[in-house]
Amino acid sequence: MSESRYDWAAPWPSTSHGVEAYLDVPRELIPGALAALREHHSARLTSVFCEDRVMTEQCFYNYYVLESPAQRAYLVLRAGIPASDPVFPSVSAAFPSANWQEREIQDWFGLTAQGHPNPRRVALHDNWPDVHPLRKEFSAVAELPFAGEQHVYRPTLGEGVFQIPVGPVHAGIIEPGHFSFSVAGEPILYLQLRMFYVHKGIEKRFEQLPVGRCVALAESISGDSSFSHGVAFCQALETVAGLEIPARAEAIRTILLELERIYNHIADIGAIATDVGFVIANAHASRLREMLFVLNEGLTGSRLLRGMVCPGGVRRDWNREQVVELSETLRQFETEFRDLMDIIESSDSTRDRLEHTGVLPTEQARELGVVGVAGRASGIDRDVRRDHPYAAYRHWTVDVPVYTEGDVLRRMMVRVKEIGGALFLIRALLASLTDGAHRVPLPPLEQGRVALSAVEGWRGEILHWIRTGPNNRLERCRIKDPSLNNWPALVEAVKGNIVPDFPVINKSFNLSYSGTDR
Amino acid sequence: MSSYILSFFAQLLLLLFLPPLVGGFIKTAKARLQTRRGPGLLQPYRDLAKLARKSMVIPNTASWIFHITPHVLFTSTLLAGLMIPTLSTRPPLAIVGGVLAVVYLLALGRFFLALGGLDTGSSFGGLGSSREMTISAIAEPALMLAVFTVAITTGSTNLGSMADQALGQSWRFLSPSQILAFAALLIVLIAETGRIPVDNPATHLELTMIHEAMILEYSGPWLALIEWSASIKQFILMSLLINVFFPFGLAADWSLPALAVSLVWLLLKLLLLAVVVILVETSNAKLRLFRVPELLAVAFVLSALALISTFLF
Repeated sequence: MSESRYDWAAPWPSTSHGVEAYLDVPRELIPGALAALREHHSARLTSVFCEDRVMTEQCFYNYYVLESPAQRAYLVLRAGIPASDPVFPSVSAAFPSANWQEREIQDWFGLTAQGHPNPRRVALHDNWPDVHPLRKEFSAVAELPFAGEQHVYRPTLGEGVFQIPVGPVHAGIIEPGHFSFSVAGEPILYLQLRMFYVHKGIEKRFEQLPVGRCVALAESISGDSSFSHGVAFCQALETVAGLEIPARAEAIRTILLELERIYNHIADIGAIATDVGFVIANAHASRLREMLFVLNEGLTGSRLLRGMVCPGGVRRDWNREQVVELSETLRQFETEFRDLMDIIESSDSTRDRLEHTGVLPTEQARELGVVGVAGRASGIDRDVRRDHPYAAYRHWTVDVPVYTEGDVLRRMMVRVKEIGGALFLIRALLASLTDGAHRVPLPPLEQGRVALSAVEGWRGEILHWIRTGPNNRLERCRIKDPSLNNWPALVEAVKGNIVPDFPVINKSFNLSYSGTDR
Repeated sequence: MSSYILSFFAQLLLLLFLPPLVGGFIKTAKARLQTRRGPGLLQPYRDLAKLARKSMVIPNTASWIFHITPHVLFTSTLLAGLMIPTLSTRPPLAIVGGVLAVVYLLALGRFFLALGGLDTGSSFGGLGSSREMTISAIAEPALMLAVFTVAITTGSTNLGSMADQALGQSWRFLSPSQILAFAALLIVLIAETGRIPVDNPATHLELTMIHEAMILEYSGPWLALIEWSASIKQFILMSLLINVFFPFGLAADWSLPALAVSLVWLLLKLLLLAVVVILVETSNAKLRLFRVPELLAVAFVLSALALISTFLF
């Protein structure tokens, strides 16, 4: 097999179903292929993952998911890795965005990423014994011994340089993660992150449950993105089954996706204000968020929009009163939201704290493959809703706000603009809401089918990739939460800032621990 | 003699039991401005009582400094409090010290608090101590210059006679030096009491704290002592501000009827000042840490100008 078999400059193969095209590439050609695709198509490597097919095909498969501005489809390169020689060439040096994901493959599948610049463990902590939980032969109920903390942080050297360890247990109700700051006085020289304290083995769990129960599992990947993850998972199932869902279901899903975006964005705007001590803005933001929670409960029975999405559509339909309630609440919300933004924008002291704080330059954002809100604030003009439309986004154009400054203020402004866009979109969807069925039954799944599903959650691009197995079960489910792409960017954004500005920089990214750890 | 004893105990009781109420008022009023209900006026008392009943966790690395800090802080703050005019123009301890003693007693407390923060070797304590000292290095001279301005006009550093003098003259406040000195002291008050825009007393984020970071390792009764001292210190600085610049209503002696009248005045003036603090705190975001010295430099310049203008006008 030679390099000449592939023409990387050619347009990507089109796809009849779903959002992705597949291409088998020998593993040794992967680094070259990725580099060529980046050169010819400005392709971004968004996810790298592995699948254990040893029982049927005596090999593992590595998948490289790429996305390009000029192409409608995702391109998935597949490389077979024989079980007898479990090694693959690392691409992390050239594509830093693959760093953690290649190490996940090392930890979970026991393959070796050859030439990885930092091959330490990431997803399984150092105290884990030598097991590889996503291999088929690993039993999910196995009890493993806990050997105690063994992680060694990179030491910080130099006159007057200190380390400040923060976490994994924090003040306030947030999830565990360890931040080790190296500081010279107040300025931060370097931040070491450690995640995966609450690794729950969700990807393994998907392989054990019947698909009906998997939806609830998908909803619990990251609590604040319940609906987005639920939709991403259901879309993957529908693609596998070749199922078209009714227009009304698509519209309802889209409205709820946007509602999820609004309630998270408004909470973040308030939280950013809190972290600079402008508490009055948070008081109003919390009130507005509560207004949406009550609305959510009226529309779906759950304040966090859980239990609403199901394969084939949505679980319950809306009556006339609910639709009226929705548009009335949003009208009131919009007025009060404008007032809140007036308060925030008229506060010079707040602007002074947010502007030029935590700058993530475009070049670094691109290298690290930053997605979503954080990416758009740093000049990465990508949005799954516009670039790979799904559900009702196929019929509507989505305004994508983009800034190039990449500071905390711009990450907040992206959220502000997106709330405006979401309100507009919901109104348009409501005006054109048609009657009809709200769900269709999902037929039994054919064995051995694969599908990729992409959703723009409020944080950014969510990917679910599934392979079906026998008896309506899954053989593999890969979940990529946007937080997995964006955590390393936080390290870049805080460099050179002062320690007391870290909380607001962190909050402006507001990444999910649970979605990263899975 | 009996009136002296009365004055001593009256002021002591006032110092011990009024300051938490001021803190409670600020918290509750702030909450109301933020459309919250707030903890209630008496919450600081309940907090102190709760902490006093709890057992303590003392880090293994703590030395004797950690142990004596709460006591030194509390004693020095109380002593300073007995030297300032609160109800009467005759503070009980005015005979042993004037404004210089007040400033240095407060500095002594802060010095030990900073040592206590460093003592355990925790990184947050160190951060807090270094920040506190950075800020006080500028806040303290500004405070002293501002008070000296008044001292020069009145010809005394004894706070009682300063208030006495001020009482005698009508509308002295309108003189330029007094206005400048008042503005400077107001900034110092906000900085020294750890309020927005300098420090955020309500935050749970260790990385942004100043005062709270120093006392993170304290718990139980010792924490209660430190919290209590902090509220007394806030009361001292507020009383200093209102009674030096707006002394009307102060009793000239320690007779009971006069004290009752001056207590009403004191509460009224505290209320007004607290409202100013609350409005500043609610309408501003916290300053970036490195901008805080700039704000305090403003206070310093204001008080220097105040001092110069006493000789000009």
